[in-house]
Amino acid sequence: MEANENLAFDALSDRIRRRILNVLGEEGELSVGEIVAHIDAVGRTTVSSHLRVLRTSGVVIERKSGRNRYYSLDREGTARDAFTYLQSLLHAGLDAVETSTPRASDAEPEDRGRGAG
Amino acid sequence: MTTFVAADRVVDLPVERAFALFGDPEAPGWLFGARCDRVVPGAAVSLHLPADGRGLGGDLSILGRFSRVVPGARVEIEHTQPWRGRLVLRFRGAGPRRTRVVVQMTLPPSGVDWLMHRAGIPLPEPDDDQAVRIGALSTMSGAGAVFAASSQAMAELAVAEVNADGGVAGRRLALLTADDATDPDQAAREARRMARLGCRAIFVNCTSASFEAARDALALTDVLLVHSVINEGGGETPRAIRLAERPRTQVEALIAPMMRASGARRWFLVGHSYVWSTGAHADARAAIARAGGHVAGERLAPIGATDFATVIEAVQRSGADLLLSSLNGESEVAFQRQSEAAGLRQTVQAASLVLDESTLSHIGERAAEGLRTALAYFQDGPADGNGELLSRYRSAHGPWAPPITTLSETVYEAIHQYARVLHRDPDGRAEAHARALLTRTSAGCDAVGARTLVAPSLYTAVASRAELHIDDVVTTPPSPPIVTGGGRRSPRSAR
Repeated sequence: MEANENLAFDALSDRIRRRILNVLGEEGELSVGEIVAHIDAVGRTTVSSHLRVLRTSGVVIERKSGRNRYYSLDREGTARDAFTYLQSLLHAGLDAVETSTPRASDAEPEDRGRGAG
Repeated sequence: MTTFVAADRVVDLPVERAFALFGDPEAPGWLFGARCDRVVPGAAVSLHLPADGRGLGGDLSILGRFSRVVPGARVEIEHTQPWRGRLVLRFRGAGPRRTRVVVQMTLPPSGVDWLMHRAGIPLPEPDDDQAVRIGALSTMSGAGAVFAASSQAMAELAVAEVNADGGVAGRRLALLTADDATDPDQAAREARRMARLGCRAIFVNCTSASFEAARDALALTDVLLVHSVINEGGGETPRAIRLAERPRTQVEALIAPMMRASGARRWFLVGHSYVWSTGAHADARAAIARAGGHVAGERLAPIGATDFATVIEAVQRSGADLLLSSLNGESEVAFQRQSEAAGLRQTVQAASLVLDESTLSHIGERAAEGLRTALAYFQDGPADGNGELLSRYRSAHGPWAPPITTLSETVYEAIHQYARVLHRDPDGRAEAHARALLTRTSAGCDAVGARTLVAPSLYTAVASRAELHIDDVVTTPPSPPIVTGGGRRSPRSAR
């Protein structure tokens, strides 16, 4: 699993970033100020830095209009990352096999039968 | 469009040995921590995909059944949780004493939605098609997923049948589904979302903790909330009602008869540390006292607990010869499997309040043998129209769909009965619909589509050879008032 493949889902591990995505999902495209108004206890600077992470990770789209920037969900981007994330879980599951595999010499079926009789 | 995700790895084992290790209880951590009794078509299986801190936090548990097994070569699993799909494992020789293990998993749109939603991204909003919307909130992931395996499928079947019968007052019924992830906070969020999307009623197929969270979240709305699984009662409001079995009648049906049959008197109670078990154990203590027994000990574990070594030791130390479990889901599976492995069954007879067919299948044949329960519906029970229901369910969801259980059948019934109420009173408020649902019951009726959901009669059953065998029926007095439905009636669903 390459580090950048998990970028989006790592970005989503933060509670504030998930809250931002929830707001964008429910309200559609919003300016930074409008997003700040929906997020309690976090200031504009913090929201802006979270938005930067989300944009870099490909889960939100930024649109500039005059002096304002507007943000919306990139559903295609997040769907793509869902595949990558699931694949990373399958890889991790198979990687774990290595550490839990009995040594072949210890675990032949015939070995198993020896003590039973 | 369904897509595939795949991964592979070579392990230093001969093919036969690699295949034999899959699901072997002696190698519990091997290959997705597969847990099953046997690797044969039809057997229940759970797989565990470790997240190891990746983005979303929790691990991913997959629950399903083997649909195809080619010994030494291939295993196919049809799973329903957390989404419906297929997982295929292939084992191929990769040189002397080496095996390439390939895993392939389908990822349908519902799976993508589930993963995105778990990441915090709201689900896409359905188009406004003028249908009457209702919600089904089910436990599709987390520790409670075992008992809700067929809930969503049965809710879908009920809605499809209502629509095939002409809908509700000339409009289609549309079902919105959501997963509470065995988390009350998530249940509250999903309930609010369903209310925002215009659901008239929400059917909660989750724990009492999730029901209470959803009830509080909807306190100021005109949405009917229906708890449609076994519950301890209490906490109802004019718009939040609770149907299905109650532990008070379950313990009455189980405790005295088990004491009479065994001559034993000392009980141990095992349950969860939340409102469901608190209520159930209070009822159990009263029933035990009435029957002349006593409680030798009690242990409560958090939802999702899976290590019961100290609990089992406490049971053994207590000298109890009878045991009542109100554990549910993954915890009940773990407790019963560990009890059997520790030899507890040799000295203690056990009853379980949430021993539905799905939970039974994950406990497995050996560990479940001899367990007793008392429930209002069994998949192989005698309810009128049950055979036809099973045929329709299998036809809609395939031969490997998880078993119908009392939990999922109650959701099916409740939706049918609500549709009838709504059909007669399409503009009524949630409170009026709640009253109508609570009173529209044919006392003692055991026919699919018109089953009594308020204080239902119970069947007692014992687990044997991986099935629940009914051995008695316990009618619940007093019967609620009979209010037979007028209006339309479908012969198929008795609507």
